[in-house]
Amino acid sequence: MKKLRQFFTDTLNQITLGRKWLIIPMALAVLALAYFSYLSLAFSGTRCTWGQAQHGEVTDAQSDCYACHKKVTPKIAQDWNESKHGMLLVKCYVCHGLPDGKGAVPFSAKPDAKVACQRCHAPAIERMYTKFGVREGCNSCHGFHTNSLHHDAYAKSVSKQKAE
Amino acid sequence: MGCTRREFIKYSAAMAALTFLGYGCGRKEAEATPDTWVKGVCRFCGTGCGVMVGVRNGKVAMVKGDPNNHNKGMLCLKGALLASVINSPDRLTTPLIRKGGTLVKATWEEALDLTATRFKQTLEQFGPKAVAYYGSGQALTEESYLANKIFKAGLKSNNVDGNPRLCMASAVGGYVSTFGKDEPMGSYEDMDSANCFFIIGSNTSECHPILFRRLAARKQSDPSVKIIVVDPRLTNTARIADLHLPVVPGTDLALMNAMAHVIFNEELDDSKFHGKYVSFKAMVDGKPVEKSLEDYRTFLADYTPEKAAAICSVPAESIVQAAKLFANSSATMSLWCMGLNQRIQGVWANNLVHNLHLITGKICKPGSTSFSLTGQPNACGGVRDTGSLAHLLPGGRLIANQEHRNQMEEIWGLPKDSLNPAPGLFTTAMFAALGDTVRAMLVLCTNPAQSLPNVKKYTANLKKSTKFLAIIEAFADAETLKYADVVFPAAFWCEREGVYGSGERRYCLIEKAVASPGEARPSVNILLDLATRMGVDPKLIPFKNSADIWEEWREISAKSAYNFKGMTRERLRKTSGLLWPCPTEDHPGTKIRYSRGDDPMVPADHPDKYFFYGNPNGRANVWLRPHKPAAELPDAEYPFILTTGRVIDQWHTGTMTNKVPEIRKAFPAAFVEVNQEDAKRLGIANGDNVRLDTRRGSLVLSARVGEVCRPGLVFAPFYDAQKLVNELTVDAVDEASKQPEFKICAVRVSKA
Repeated sequence: MKKLRQFFTDTLNQITLGRKWLIIPMALAVLALAYFSYLSLAFSGTRCTWGQAQHGEVTDAQSDCYACHKKVTPKIAQDWNESKHGMLLVKCYVCHGLPDGKGAVPFSAKPDAKVACQRCHAPAIERMYTKFGVREGCNSCHGFHTNSLHHDAYAKSVSKQKAE
Repeated sequence: MGCTRREFIKYSAAMAALTFLGYGCGRKEAEATPDTWVKGVCRFCGTGCGVMVGVRNGKVAMVKGDPNNHNKGMLCLKGALLASVINSPDRLTTPLIRKGGTLVKATWEEALDLTATRFKQTLEQFGPKAVAYYGSGQALTEESYLANKIFKAGLKSNNVDGNPRLCMASAVGGYVSTFGKDEPMGSYEDMDSANCFFIIGSNTSECHPILFRRLAARKQSDPSVKIIVVDPRLTNTARIADLHLPVVPGTDLALMNAMAHVIFNEELDDSKFHGKYVSFKAMVDGKPVEKSLEDYRTFLADYTPEKAAAICSVPAESIVQAAKLFANSSATMSLWCMGLNQRIQGVWANNLVHNLHLITGKICKPGSTSFSLTGQPNACGGVRDTGSLAHLLPGGRLIANQEHRNQMEEIWGLPKDSLNPAPGLFTTAMFAALGDTVRAMLVLCTNPAQSLPNVKKYTANLKKSTKFLAIIEAFADAETLKYADVVFPAAFWCEREGVYGSGERRYCLIEKAVASPGEARPSVNILLDLATRMGVDPKLIPFKNSADIWEEWREISAKSAYNFKGMTRERLRKTSGLLWPCPTEDHPGTKIRYSRGDDPMVPADHPDKYFFYGNPNGRANVWLRPHKPAAELPDAEYPFILTTGRVIDQWHTGTMTNKVPEIRKAFPAAFVEVNQEDAKRLGIANGDNVRLDTRRGSLVLSARVGEVCRPGLVFAPFYDAQKLVNELTVDAVDEASKQPEFKICAVRVSKA
């Protein structure tokens, strides 16, 4: 183990010629390379480039986010499709905005719950705040994409039934 | 060594985190928190969801659901994105006058004077039959009531019609012929107690999303709730259906008669109910004739499930199953929309839904109701109730009925027998006569150059130099602007105050939240100015604003079964809507009509629990309506059926929804849905250009191949102004309701 550590430090020193500050940009380069090679390998040919110019002109049947994300991020897309939001056609852009950032809703992979959820769930948010105080977001308990129509989420909770 | 392994890992993690955070770097500031919230109603469909408009620095910053209205804070995607519609820069800000073929900016004086002069000249030269008003189920109640009064009482012209003629005239015909009075007897609340939903000719999920949410919630709370969906397309609504019947378009009359056949055959009818509260009727030589239960059963004997199965192309067992689900549930709610209404048998199809409820007694009870869904936010309250159609007067009165005319003459302070006794021209007849017998037309808040059926036929008239067309419009890119001689810029949605009446008889006040851009003005004031300049008696229009008009209309309603005298402006300001009848200021509104104890129009000491006071004998009518095919059936030359409709994102002609970047990009252009089997046979792949030819026109659209449409059917939406699907549709109308058959025409489909 000690030997391996020595070898690692030596190699690093050789490459950086003793300039230790170089380690950071190097790490960055290695990580970036790994990240992009992962992306291009995992999603070869199907990467969603919707935000780019030539994609903005696409007017075919695939212009819906879901059609592309079914291939690119199948799990998330399928989760949404089966969730209450999917069943009721609360589509991607309602919360996430447009990838080109030119939409009415700010583009974000993780939408601000305070704004996005507020539009429909203001009464529920208020109830939760009164009950439990301010919390980070809504998603930690109420999955945006995983709140399925098939479980008993619509059914009234025991506490509510008692209250009535 | 300056960098330990621990540190290295730390840096790597930090870099990785930063890479991911890069996604968020370009993000805009979160939407500004509004200073004030103003109550209103959504601008889109007839569901009439309550909204709260968030205003910051005099602009609409955000729109959220009203927690106190029926939608309980929920909004569909269109409603949630309403802020970008009202903030759109494509607004009309000054009046325009056509000079030398192009619309140029003008002053209000010029535009008002020109329009009033042209109308006055037309009246003098050709009489009241030559002027017309074409209104909208999106105008405020006050606007529709005022325009109706100006034209019918002021100018003595009954050429007052509107786009509800294209949308729910058949539903009106259905309710009036069965119950004697228009509008549903139930409310959205019935969805919470129904155990069976019979959804026919409605893609509720995409066209009334918040109601679909409510019934999905109902099904989830009780798995024994059954949902029957009758639709030739496998729509998103059908995703939660227990039974989907993809009938051939235009065959549902046979289906519903067969269901009635099964109900009697299996003794699932409620003889106590139909024995006491129902009259059987049939049309013989154009006149209604009283029939007996035996006659009805003899009539139904012809509609065995097997025979209907052959007509509808669905299994006979499914028809039996649907009938049993309908009749066996403890409470059944029917929902329908354009699939039944936009048909030449629209009224009959509506009657047949009511029949199913009347023979099983599943009506006027919580969860049991026959509920027509409406496409526009104020078609019910604004146009149906105020009688702003060519054959109607306010409060369900008929122009053809002398007694009704005399009542309105008295109410409006007119000399006896001064109202024009001849009903005016209905929509397609009105546009067919434009430039010929109709010389001057005023259009308010609608886009007929895109929404009329067989539209090329009517735009040819809109181009005529012998016509004068003035329109009151908010958006600069509406198709009809191309044909207008004068354009008045209108205040939009919550830029002025007024009432919207939704599909469940709920009247809601939209309060003014922001100022209108440029010189745009409320349509009420435009109409008042025009009327004054046209020389309408000032005593008829003693109004300054929409609140004055509401007061008059509220008082008048007390003299009809549409009584909402208790809905004062103040009360509407405080509540998130009330359901009429609501005769007094302490009345909470009515959830169930025709039921003693619920409906204030039924005397508290009435001997029977149910009283259909709209009909002289107090009973509802079960009509014997035979199956009849559509106006244009597929043949060897045009072997497919084309049906048109909407998608959830876009609304009607797209003038509003296309202002939302998200929606514009999700659905930029119209497309055509083709069944995968048909596509294979025709060599069409997903995304291919497909040519649609009908007897009226051709269009090339991109194909969406899938299992949504049943074989032999193609579907195209009508929101796209660049691809006018209505150039293909047929303009045959229902004999009674005069509603065109948008839903069915014969088409040839080929790869372009």
